[in-house]
Amino acid sequence: MMKHIPAVLFLIPLVAAISMPMVVLRRPGWGRPMTLFAACAMCVTAVANLLVVLNSGEIRYLFGGWRAPVGIEWVADGLASVMMIAVSLLATVCLVYGGSVKLPGSARRLALHYILILLLLSALTGVVFAADLFNVFVFLEVATLCTSGLVAIAGGKALVFAFRYLILASIGATFYLLGVSFLYAATGTLNMADLAQRLPGLLGSKAVIVGLVFMFIGLAIKMALMPLHGWLPDAYTYALDAVSPLLSSLVTKVALFAWIRIMYWVVGAGHDAETAQALRVCWMLGALAAVGGAFLALIQQDVKRMFAYGGVSHIGLIMIGAGLGNQTGLAGSMFYLINDAVMQATLFVLAGVAISHYGVRTMGDLAVLRERAPWMIGGLIIVGLSMIGIPPTGGFFGKWYIVLGALQSGEYVAVGAVIVATLLTMAYFMGLFVRIFASHYGGGEQASPVAPAAEMPLVLRVCVGILCVGILSLGLCSDRIVKVLLDATSSLKL
Amino acid sequence: MVELLEAVIKRPNFVAFVALFLWGLYIAITHHNLVKKLIGLYIVQTSVIFFFVTFAAKQGATVPILLSNDGKIEARAYTNPLPHALTLTAIVVQVATLGVSVAVVAGIYRNYDSLDEAEILKKLE
Repeated sequence: MMKHIPAVLFLIPLVAAISMPMVVLRRPGWGRPMTLFAACAMCVTAVANLLVVLNSGEIRYLFGGWRAPVGIEWVADGLASVMMIAVSLLATVCLVYGGSVKLPGSARRLALHYILILLLLSALTGVVFAADLFNVFVFLEVATLCTSGLVAIAGGKALVFAFRYLILASIGATFYLLGVSFLYAATGTLNMADLAQRLPGLLGSKAVIVGLVFMFIGLAIKMALMPLHGWLPDAYTYALDAVSPLLSSLVTKVALFAWIRIMYWVVGAGHDAETAQALRVCWMLGALAAVGGAFLALIQQDVKRMFAYGGVSHIGLIMIGAGLGNQTGLAGSMFYLINDAVMQATLFVLAGVAISHYGVRTMGDLAVLRERAPWMIGGLIIVGLSMIGIPPTGGFFGKWYIVLGALQSGEYVAVGAVIVATLLTMAYFMGLFVRIFASHYGGGEQASPVAPAAEMPLVLRVCVGILCVGILSLGLCSDRIVKVLLDATSSLKL
Repeated sequence: MVELLEAVIKRPNFVAFVALFLWGLYIAITHHNLVKKLIGLYIVQTSVIFFFVTFAAKQGATVPILLSNDGKIEARAYTNPLPHALTLTAIVVQVATLGVSVAVVAGIYRNYDSLDEAEILKKLE
C-alpha cells in the first residue's frame, strides 16, 4: 500500500478535478469545499509520504509494473517529499484565502477556476515526482496551460498578459522538448537514473551540450530567470488576488526544482571540470537575477508588482545556491526555495488584502494602513524580515547556507551578489515601511478615497497568521529541515 | 568548411528542421498580429515533432511487431517505437496549447476589438 503513495498524491487532485463538473452541475456550491477537501487530503498524504520515505528510504513507483528504462518511473526521495509537503500546504492556505476574495462570475465559472487549480496541483505533483525527462515536459506544459487559464480568468488586461505568458512558456516548453530529443538521440533513453549512467562519458559530445543548453533555456523561461522574466510581473499583477499567491509561490519554483533535479541527478554536476563550467554560468545568471530583480523591485510603484520583482530576485538567489556545486549550497538553496514559496504566498496574500480590504494598490496609498491594520503590518514586518534575512526567520538560514556554500567553493563574487541583493531587498522594504509609518507621507482620511475599513475578517487573519507562523517555524526548525535535505542530497557524493 | 557543407548537404532533413524552427520563431517574435504569433508557435512546435520523426526514421524497417515466434529477433528489421509514441504525446500537448491560446485570443478580441498587439497595448494604457 505504502509504495502507491506518490500515485495517490497525484490522483487526489486529478480525480477531484475530473469529477468536479458533474458534481457542480447538481450542487453549484460544492466546488470550493471539494477543492479544499482535496488539498487537505493532499497535505495528509504528503506528510505520510515523507514519513514513509524517511523511515524506509525512497519510493520508486513503476507505472503499470513495467521496470524502469522501459516503463515510466516516479521517484519520491527526501527532496521531492519535502517539496510536496510545501506545495500541498501552501495550496491549502492559498485556497482558504481565495475563498474570502470575491471572484467574478457565476458559480459555474467559479467551478471552472477550481478545476484549473486542482489540475495545476496534479501537474505540479507530476513535475516533482517524475523521474523521466519527457514526463517532466508534459507536466510542465499542463502546469503552464492551467496557469495561463488562471491568469486569464480575471478578464480584461489579464487576458493579454495570459496570452503573452502562454506564448513564451510554450516556446520554452518547445525548447525543453528539443533538448530532450537531443539527449534521447545521443543516449537512447529518457529515464533519469538510466541517463545518469550513460551521460558521464558523453558530456563532451556537442549534441549533449546543445541539448542541455536548450533544456536550460526552456526551463529558465518557465522559472522566470532574470533576462527571461518578462512575462512574470504583468501576469501576477493582473491575475485575480485569489490566485496570484498560488501562482507566485508554486509555479516558478517547481520549474526551478526540475532544473536542479536534471542538473545534479541526471548530468551529475559538480564532479568534473566540464560541469563545473556549466555550474559557474548558472550561478552567474543567478547573481544577475538576484541583483537585477531586487533593483527593479526598488523602482516599482505598484505594491503587487514590487513583490513580483522580489520573487524574480529570489529565484536568482536560489539559482546561486544551486550553481555552487557543493552539498551545503544545494541543501541551502532547496531550503531557500521552500522558504521563498512561503514568503511569496505571504506577500501576495498581504497585497491582495491590501487591495481588496484597504484599497491600497500603490506605494502612495500605503499611509492608509497606519494605525488601522495591526495584522497586516505585523505580517508585513515578519515577511519583510524573512525576505531581508534577519535571524529568527527562515530567510536568514537559507541565505546563511547559500553563503556558506559559496565560501566553501571560494566563489566570493557569489557572496557579494547575495549581500548586494540583501541590501537592495532591505532598501525596498524600508521604502515600504517608511511610507506606512513616517508621518510626512500624509495619508489619513483626506488622502484615502475609501472609508477606512475595520480589521480584516477572521479568515484572512488566520491565513496571515498561519503563513507568518510558517515563516518563523521554518527558521526555528531550520536545523532539522536542512538535515533532511542534506541526507536527501548525500547520495550525490558532492 | 567544405566538410561542414558536405555534412549539411548529407542531412537535408535536419536542414529542413532548422529552417522550420527558425522560421516559426521569427514569425512568433516579429509579427504584431496575435493569430500570426500563434501560427509561428505552431510551426516551432511542429518542427520539433518533425525532428523526432526524422531521427527515428530507418530505411527498410517495419513496425515493431514480432512477425514469427522462432526466437530469432533481427533488431535491424524494426523501427524504434518510442520516438513515435513521444511524438503522439507531444502532438496532444500541442493541440491543448493551441486550444487554450485560441480561446484566450478570442477573449482578447471580444474585449479590445483588435488582434494587433501594438493597438491592444495602446488601449491598455
